[in-house]
Amino acid sequence: MPTPAGPAGDAIRLDRVGKAFTLDDGARVDALVDISLSIGQGEFVALIGPSGCGKSTVLRLIAALEAPSEGRVSVEGRAPDELSRAHRLGVAFQDHALLPWLTVSGNVGLPFRLAGRPVDRARVASLLGLVGLAGFEQARPKQLSGGMRQRASIARALALSPDVLLLDEPFGALDAVTRRRLNIELQRIWSEQRITTLLVTHAVDEAIFLADRVVVMSGRPGRILRTLEVPFARPRGPEVMRTPEFHRLVDELTLLLEPEGAA
Amino acid sequence: MSPLLRAKLRAVLFGALGIGLFLGAWEAVGVYRLVGSSWPPLSTTLAFAFDPDRATLFRRAMATTFSMAAGGYVIGAAAGIAAGALGVLVRALRPGLDRLVTTIHAIPSVALAPVFIVLLDRDSTGMAIAAMIVGYAMYVATTSGLAVASAAHRDVFAAFGASPLARLWRLELPAALPALAGGLRLAIPGALIGAIIGEWFGASRGLGLLMVSAMHNFQIPLLWSAVLITSAASLVLFGVASLIERRIAERFRA
Repeated sequence: MPTPAGPAGDAIRLDRVGKAFTLDDGARVDALVDISLSIGQGEFVALIGPSGCGKSTVLRLIAALEAPSEGRVSVEGRAPDELSRAHRLGVAFQDHALLPWLTVSGNVGLPFRLAGRPVDRARVASLLGLVGLAGFEQARPKQLSGGMRQRASIARALALSPDVLLLDEPFGALDAVTRRRLNIELQRIWSEQRITTLLVTHAVDEAIFLADRVVVMSGRPGRILRTLEVPFARPRGPEVMRTPEFHRLVDELTLLLEPEGAA
Repeated sequence: MSPLLRAKLRAVLFGALGIGLFLGAWEAVGVYRLVGSSWPPLSTTLAFAFDPDRATLFRRAMATTFSMAAGGYVIGAAAGIAAGALGVLVRALRPGLDRLVTTIHAIPSVALAPVFIVLLDRDSTGMAIAAMIVGYAMYVATTSGLAVASAAHRDVFAAFGASPLARLWRLELPAALPALAGGLRLAIPGALIGAIIGEWFGASRGLGLLMVSAMHNFQIPLLWSAVLITSAASLVLFGVASLIERRIAERFRA
């Protein structure tokens, strides 16, 4: 399947990638088969699929947290771990993974320390403002709500102005109302920075609202079923979610995710 | 009164009641000689321990035993933490270190005392045994503590390009602090036991020596006084360490 490149060349490229895991009893399980995907410079791609389809594995391959069994993954033309070693990757997961012993601003400043650079306090303060956590600089993660922790986690991902942002179900554990509000905020934040982004989610509306392109994966073993160019212009406000076109696309992709014969 | 305060007050009250009952039973068993003459009443033991004539005797014994226990505690903790960290950092060493430490721990410390008497001297044997008991506790606390950091945290550190040293310093070590504090608390009675057992093999002074000579000479109040002092010291130190551990856990545990 040909994969259309983004407007300014490919930032991320997966070339016929496969991933197999070996279970404890020695059995081999194919998690991903023949995945080819390109994400252009400054493009926002959402990856959706039923749970267990390997969409998080795709993200972990790009983050160099896993190695592919077959095929090639490259980020900016190089091996993916070069990006993380150069401190040019930002990640936020469903588990916020904030350090409980650091304050919110300490957590957001952590990537500076891990890169061996002095913490840019102005940058940390402006990011906390951007994600709506101004005034909570000295709070500890356990004093925050689930939504606020995810905001802090996203601010941390953005700290070093990364070239690539990887988001793995960052709002997956939140209630529907908070999730919708954070989607609107992420839309606003992303529009200001336009970082190459891959969002893994199981929420179809979230994917269509945020992404330039939605890639739909099938269940185990994971394959790419379909790619949809999202037709809505940017900047997108929440009113997009109320248009009939938006609802039609959500219905269309939701149907694709349903197991065969269930409809 | 707030429900929280009331709950706290009730806990203190029940605690005091329990301790009171225990001490009362101790006194009653002694006064009525319920288990024979070798169980003196608490009041007799206290009067003996706090008799001004014996103040120097007990002070010198305490200074000896507690300094041996403290020395063994510090040496054992440092060695246990260092060995544990080495096992975590240099993976190839881990299985061998685990086996070595477990084997040493499996030998009763009493059996090792003669070895230490030969290698060291009679007066430092207690410190060596204390160090071994504490060292084992801290080795276990360190190796398990350094493994506490979650997979999600490790993923985030890897994605941000953290070096192994940065990961140790900024993730694994802080995450290990509650386990280390717990190990340091649990090691306190062990350090005292080690120091006292060491003195049974011919030390020239100390609470352990007092216990042994009191036993041989049927000086029941002296024996019980030495036991009382040791237990009180252990309980107080254990309590202080529990408070410190709680503060650390509040801060460093998610």
